[in-house]
Amino acid sequence: MPVIIDTEKCGKIENCPGEGLCIKLCEEDALIEEAGDVVIISENCNDCELCIMNCPNQAISKVD
Amino acid sequence: MKSITREGDENRSLTHNNDKCIGCGICTSICPTKSIKNGPILPIARGLVDMDYININKNSCCLCGLCASVCPVDALEFKIDDKNIKEMDTYPKWDKDAKIDTEACVHCKACETACPQDAIKVARTLPRREDLVLGEIEVDQDKCINCKICEELCPGDAITVKQTGRETYETVVDEDKCVYCLVCKRACPTDAIKAVCSSCVYQDTKLDPEKFKTSGNIVLNPDSCVNCGWCEEICPVDAAKVTKPFEGEVIFDEEMVCKGDSCHACLDVCPCNAVSITEGHSEIDKRFCILCGACANVCPQKGIQIKRTKINLDNIRSKSWQNRISSLTTGK
Repeated sequence: MPVIIDTEKCGKIENCPGEGLCIKLCEEDALIEEAGDVVIISENCNDCELCIMNCPNQAISKVD
Repeated sequence: MKSITREGDENRSLTHNNDKCIGCGICTSICPTKSIKNGPILPIARGLVDMDYININKNSCCLCGLCASVCPVDALEFKIDDKNIKEMDTYPKWDKDAKIDTEACVHCKACETACPQDAIKVARTLPRREDLVLGEIEVDQDKCINCKICEELCPGDAITVKQTGRETYETVVDEDKCVYCLVCKRACPTDAIKAVCSSCVYQDTKLDPEKFKTSGNIVLNPDSCVNCGWCEEICPVDAAKVTKPFEGEVIFDEEMVCKGDSCHACLDVCPCNAVSITEGHSEIDKRFCILCGACANVCPQKGIQIKRTKINLDNIRSKSWQNRISSLTTGK
């Protein structure tokens, strides 16, 4: 089950304390930048949850 | 380096050295006032953010020194009136160590290559070639036709055919490089090379085995060493001895679905190069693990358990410190 991003908590990448840390951490290219926002490419996600664990805004979670 | 100081009857200071810190979080878990917080360990270890592994709240820190006493890599230094508590009889002492017996060492550099912290440096002087072989070689320049067959063939690159004038050449043998293998002599089309090897004939009489040895110096920097045991495991002559800070084991949760190559958070934070991803699953080589727990803290699957059975920290005199420190082995 892929992850979801709470866009309100996330804000724009320019406001992220980790400067888009989730994108940098993801090795499966499941998180990419699109017009300053983080976008999920679900089919690439391998459920490793590194993004969930390391998001400085706790904006990423899993769909139950 | 960040320091917290407070002056009173005593002057106390706590200093965190991030260069030594491995982000294991032992200080965070042991702090009685919850004044230490882990930073984003994995992003720091991967070099994605430039932060310290830990943050100490200077307002709530009571400067007791417990964190500095249990830090397995001496990244926290606690001083009372400018004296390090590690030098005081009343404070705990680690029985962890790494030593290399310089007498037994053969300067092979295996430990230098394997050390994950680059804590070992080997400087060596090789024996001189002339002390290892015996022989004679001479080139008859009149017979030599400067064909360079010897130069091309020489396995030791000991022969050069030099042009000395418009039509004159000289074939020179570097006797520091020549091992009298006689390849040149046999291949020379004009028999211009006279050479003889007497290494075997005179090996017992003219060669001195004392001069065959490689000499050198080996330095282990205790400031970078994390006592992981690589040097001890890899040393072919058992010259390295390591005592690790903890004893126990690492257990992988059987239910855990390790994401292997797409995650490898454990591998990136391990200060000991003890982790490998094999067939999509993390593996921890217990020979090199110091049970610091850095991997367990960053695993998003929470699938790694550190079971410490013993902490090699002696002279814990305070009962309350004993209770606190025992949490590292009991997990409570």
